Amino acid sequence: MNRRDCVQTLVSGAITTMVKPASAASERLRIGLTPVILADQVAFLSRWGRYLSARTGCEVSFLARESYQVILDLLFSGQIDAAWICGYPLVRYETDLSLLAVPLYQGQPVYQAYLIRSRGLSMPINGWNDLRDKVLAYSDPLSNSGWLVAQAQLAKAGLSQRDLKRTFFAHGHRNVAESVAARLAQAGSIDGYVWETMRQQGMTAVAQTEVVWKSEPHGFPPLVTKRGAAHPFQNALLKSLLSMADDKAGQDLLRALNLTGFTEGNAGLFESIRRQAQGVPGSGVVA
Amino acid sequence: MLRRLPYRVQIPFGLSIAVFITALLVTAVSARLSASSARLETLATLDRALILLVSQARPLLAADDTWRTFALLRDTAALIPGASTGHARLAVVDADGKVFAASDPVQLDTGRPMLGHTWRGQSLMNTQDIQERQRLDQSDGAVILLEPIRSEDGQTLGHVFLEVEAPVFAADWLALFKTAMIGVALAVALLVPVGWWVGKRMTQPVARLIKVIERIGREPSTSLRAEVPKTTDPELSRIGDAVLQLMGELEKREKAEARALSAERLAAVGRMTAAVAHEINNPLMGLLTATQTLRLHGNAENVRQRTLDLLDRGLQQIRTTVAALLPQVRIEDRPLEPGDLEDVVTLVQATASLQSAHIATRIEVESALRVPSAPLRQVMLNLLLNAIKAAGQDGQIEAVLQADGNRVQFCVCNSGLPLTLDKFRETLAAESGRDPRGFGLWVCQELASHYRGGFELDANTLNGTRLVFWLPNQELQEKEV
Repeated sequence: MNRRDCVQTLVSGAITTMVKPASAASERLRIGLTPVILADQVAFLSRWGRYLSARTGCEVSFLARESYQVILDLLFSGQIDAAWICGYPLVRYETDLSLLAVPLYQGQPVYQAYLIRSRGLSMPINGWNDLRDKVLAYSDPLSNSGWLVAQAQLAKAGLSQRDLKRTFFAHGHRNVAESVAARLAQAGSIDGYVWETMRQQGMTAVAQTEVVWKSEPHGFPPLVTKRGAAHPFQNALLKSLLSMADDKAGQDLLRALNLTGFTEGNAGLFESIRRQAQGVPGSGVVA
Repeated sequence: MLRRLPYRVQIPFGLSIAVFITALLVTAVSARLSASSARLETLATLDRALILLVSQARPLLAADDTWRTFALLRDTAALIPGASTGHARLAVVDADGKVFAASDPVQLDTGRPMLGHTWRGQSLMNTQDIQERQRLDQSDGAVILLEPIRSEDGQTLGHVFLEVEAPVFAADWLALFKTAMIGVALAVALLVPVGWWVGKRMTQPVARLIKVIERIGREPSTSLRAEVPKTTDPELSRIGDAVLQLMGELEKREKAEARALSAERLAAVGRMTAAVAHEINNPLMGLLTATQTLRLHGNAENVRQRTLDLLDRGLQQIRTTVAALLPQVRIEDRPLEPGDLEDVVTLVQATASLQSAHIATRIEVESALRVPSAPLRQVMLNLLLNAIKAAGQDGQIEAVLQADGNRVQFCVCNSGLPLTLDKFRETLAAESGRDPRGFGLWVCQELASHYRGGFELDANTLNGTRLVFWLPNQELQEKEV
């Protein structure tokens, strides 16, 4: 290599270093998403990722999967650094998970589970007691609003799975709404926040369904991390989430999520879920 | 209607109609073929959809995943003809014969018993009876397909149910008609100007020929010949040749007519000359007789005076006759008098004596005579000479002059062979053409026509021949002459 080549190499290396984003040089922070939110909007997630990257100092990206279990597996295997899951898996795997932040919905870190039905049914469903010989759609086996609540209410109504005509998992709250709208199921157990967000966004599936029952408030699906495996930028991520409501870009993102902010939260928010799970056989939560 | 239009309109219009009719026929045939092939195409599509569904639904059915099966059916239905309009539906039926998921859950609700039950009037087989694909053709044309879904070890997991209703197989007449109409519109848009141009080009020589034909007879043929269009088209070429031939024939005819007219003029001059000679010759015979009388008995005063008067009137008649041949000359003539008949009889007496013919006269004049004397004396002379000739030897002739307020009539009867009406007309025609010597009767007819009178044969006369000449008993106005 002559002197000219040596200079060119040094200059090009310097330029590459200057134009490369600061976050790229640091460690990536990957967040897994479950159907607790309407997370299939790639452009939005990309925008949110850029927002968090700019504020945490590391590259933040999102990974969405339909199954809660898949996201948990990715978290436990270290392939993702944080996950936005439901309160039920947090309670169920509390020894392996740490609470990172809790979203604020309408200013509160709580939400409700809904029982919805198809509009225009010949035999209307007015509550859990009317589900005998009906088809009921769940969201996910690890969803509080999309399964656990339904199990508790069915038991309370004195109905077992055999008393229903059929049940199935729709792999997401949105799919539950679409199943009920298409009358693939006559009723569905769904996250109230998701249903309200769908209604806010004018999705047709919501227009063909109606809410017949709402649960007591439960802790809002939180962001969690694997216990004992804190990411170097975890605190920076937390700060960024907590301060989203303080700037215009963050407010726009929160508005798109139909949220008002994030809070650190505490385990007590999910006590109602714990108590409920303890009453459902096979929930994995023991008293 | 169409035939009244010019060719440059007829041709594009005819082409457009032809295209339209062709398009309709093609559309009808296409629709027929489409109707028959559409069913085969639809069945082929269903076959491919079944293959796809069986392979894709197998793991979903094994995993008891109703939602994803529904999503698969919903997406596949988009490929099935008629699904979007509610005329086709798909379902996956579980091993118990109940609907596991369907593309249209409103009609095929989840958990509904299907196999082994009746669906829309069609009894469906039990699950164990469906070992291979089943196709159930409905009476109205609808089709139901059932295909078992098996695991790799041959266990029946469920079935794919696919139903397509009859309207899906029907030809889309409206779409075919619209397509045909677009084709017709494009063809018409192209053919109308082309047809217009072709029609104009085709009719141009015809129009030129028509103009030439219209001018035939009014303009010289030599200039028209040059304007007859020369074309390679055999039909138009024949028409052009025919026009040229027509012009040649017309030229020949014009020349022949010119020659005939010249000959006719010469003949007329000859007839005129003969008539003059005849009309002058007739009184001359009487005048010569009068001069002979004057020579023999001129010493007697009364005979001399009477003969001189006779000579004077005869010469006046000749003068009047000559003057009558000159239409531009104004003639001064006296009215007829009853004595004129006696003069004329005296003039022809010599001729009658030659064949011992007897002439009887009768005058029945009840009103004043206002007709000119010269033409009447001419007529009397001609008819009497003609009657003498027709009466033959020892013949009897009667001349009658009659007059009333309306007309003056002179009749001559002779005892000769009766003259028929046809012979009379033939004689008049022959005299006008070929026989100058027989101009007597022809001149009588001409004078009758000239003075608005008549000259005819009395067909009611049984014995002999009676000719009647009459004129209106009024003074003829000069301008009328």
